[in-house]
Amino acid sequence: MKRFLVLSIVLLMAISVLSVKVVVFGDQGHNLVPLEWIKDEAAKKGIEIEIVGVPFTAVYEKLKTEFVGGTGAYDLVIFYPIYLGEFADFGYLRPLDDYIKELDPHLEDVIPAYRELYLKYGGHVYALPYDGDILNLYYRRDLFENEEEKANFKKKYGYDLKPPETWKELRDVAEFFTRKKGEKLAGKILDHDFYGYAFYGARGFCYAWWNNRFASYGGVYFDRDMNPMINSEAGVKALEDMIDIMKFCPPDVLSYGYEELKDAFLLDRVAMVIQWPCVWKKGQDPKQSKIVGKIGVAHVPGVKKPDGTIYYRAAAPVGRVLGIPTTAKHPKEAYWIAWMLSYKLSTECVSTSKTGLDPYRYSHVNHPEAFSEFAPAEEAKRYLDAVMQNLEHAFPDLNIPGAGEYLDALDLYITSALAGKMSPKEALDKAAERWNEITDMLDRERQKKIYNNMIESWKKLGFWAGD
Amino acid sequence: MKKKKRSSIRKNELKFAALMALPGLVALIVLVAGPLAYMVYNSAFSKSLAAPIPPRPVGFKNYIDLLKSDRFWNAFKNTMVIMGIGIPVQSFLGLLMAMLLSREFKGKRLIVALFLIPVMITPVVSGFQWKIIFHERFGPLNYILGFLGFNPNIPWLAKPSLALASILIMDTWQWTPFVALVLLAGLSSIPRQVYEAANVDGASSWQIFWRVTMPLLRPIFTLVVLLRIIFIFKIFDPVYILTGGGPGISTETLSVYTYYSGFKHFNVGRTAALAVLQLVIITIIAQLYMRFVMRRREEVQRS
Repeated sequence: MKRFLVLSIVLLMAISVLSVKVVVFGDQGHNLVPLEWIKDEAAKKGIEIEIVGVPFTAVYEKLKTEFVGGTGAYDLVIFYPIYLGEFADFGYLRPLDDYIKELDPHLEDVIPAYRELYLKYGGHVYALPYDGDILNLYYRRDLFENEEEKANFKKKYGYDLKPPETWKELRDVAEFFTRKKGEKLAGKILDHDFYGYAFYGARGFCYAWWNNRFASYGGVYFDRDMNPMINSEAGVKALEDMIDIMKFCPPDVLSYGYEELKDAFLLDRVAMVIQWPCVWKKGQDPKQSKIVGKIGVAHVPGVKKPDGTIYYRAAAPVGRVLGIPTTAKHPKEAYWIAWMLSYKLSTECVSTSKTGLDPYRYSHVNHPEAFSEFAPAEEAKRYLDAVMQNLEHAFPDLNIPGAGEYLDALDLYITSALAGKMSPKEALDKAAERWNEITDMLDRERQKKIYNNMIESWKKLGFWAGD
Repeated sequence: MKKKKRSSIRKNELKFAALMALPGLVALIVLVAGPLAYMVYNSAFSKSLAAPIPPRPVGFKNYIDLLKSDRFWNAFKNTMVIMGIGIPVQSFLGLLMAMLLSREFKGKRLIVALFLIPVMITPVVSGFQWKIIFHERFGPLNYILGFLGFNPNIPWLAKPSLALASILIMDTWQWTPFVALVLLAGLSSIPRQVYEAANVDGASSWQIFWRVTMPLLRPIFTLVVLLRIIFIFKIFDPVYILTGGGPGISTETLSVYTYYSGFKHFNVGRTAALAVLQLVIITIIAQLYMRFVMRRREEVQRS
């Protein structure tokens, strides 16, 4: 017995000495779950995984503090691509080109918007994709297909009730479905107020909901000389539209973050929302949703061109990528984990209710059967097709150095205008003024060079709408 | 000879005193004076950690930019509003509670213990509790209001004026018991004989309160108000959790603004200037308050 105990202790000590501990950093919660799935396989390769989770909104500050300190506490970091430019520019991240040659993550399968804008910087790959985020329009299919509602809508607006393709149609539909408690909705008496539309109105990502409109009106962040273009006619119109549609939103819409917006839709309070892809998955879960099987997904609305086509641009805020810090102690092992998550297990990661991860590869959107946990393949296909449509018309986040501060300033003034504290023009002028200050502080010429490189990538993808 | 011996003893005593004070002094320099000096130094630079560019000396530009910026004055105004309303309300309610608790009644100990709960809950936790309470659709507050026949759809956190009021409500809930308990301690330290003497002299309850209780409670009252001024000036958790400073910047306070500037934008120069400005402001407020209190005390003593 004694000998067995000694042997066990020696064996355990040997394992702990021989195995390599890889510390993985990310926003805590369900998106770190896949790391648990690979723990056994990692152990076979002599890798012990330690997970460090931080709150969703604290990723940047925690990582940045760590990078500035340069303690090498993390081997693999999960972060939002908005910061890729800054982190790579500072030399905080290792280029992954050599690792990719050794163990191919098949980036050709990654949807180009992600591959070119969220993984690369200065011609090098700095990250592997982990979560694809794009905004989609969700609507209540049961209401849109109700014969009585369809007839009433046609009578009032002179055209058929359908998922809105333009911002004008979105306004009409939102107005139409806004009802008071006691009124009828799809043949039933409402026991609560019902609203046509809701959006992310709290500080944080409100700018992305403005981006959908701004970009479809032809807006771009800066011109080629780094002059802010957010206070252009397109920007002001986008903000005026948002203020206008608040009439048909719940009164507390300005406090809506991700959770509140998701709940407003899934708990049968609004007819339409624009939201991230995971809302469809959560909407199929009866524990979280009162509208299982009633969710329609479409591309975000846009603007009708003279030739009759619709020009729409879907904002792509957040997203998650996997990077290896320059100070990582075990980069090779960290890359193996990143490869497992981003390639080997990626379909499992994005097609389960256990995570909040969303599709980012062609192999994800082309395999609706993988999403059978949520809905039959046919319905999953409709969802994936809509996601793909939006991805093909993405309006990516700014990811040059200082992107966090630029977008925070924009977000701040947009929400200030929504709260009635200033006019749309005044708010965007102030945001533009702040953007100029940030650019000057970060060296205008340097920023201009980096931004122009970004424009080239946008042009290659057909995303650039500027001169 | 005697004199020499005495002076040598004195010298030894001084040496010993210096030696004893040394660790404290070193800690003070390393932990307070050093960082403070570094903060003042940083405030004179355009220094951002968002791009790898060297810091540039800019003199007082960071201060001037801040003093010209609407966002700074908005944060200042919000902090002052919370302070201006929060302090009198919390002091009044705290005093009222302390007076009630100073009487003997059954279950007093239990009530005092219950009173401690809000103070002991981590502000982040109570922030989330209140976020649920204030929820427009699912929050118990609107449910109760609806049950009582009032408007059940009040957007507590989404309407700028109400959002600031909501923060005040939460802060009052959390900190009034603290004020009450400190004042209760002050009340129990007032000798019973003073009240007996006042009663013998035929003073009314009102006269006893104004002429006996309040003057004797003044030192502790001054202290608790000063503490609340300093705490409220630094208010962060309720604002960050409940509204994040929104809608827009309508509830952003100086400390929340400092946090965004420092840890979201990593704008080191401006954040340092912001911190120095806050230090100056709170010192001025504390000094003004103390002068006011001292003048009142002198007036009372003279009368």
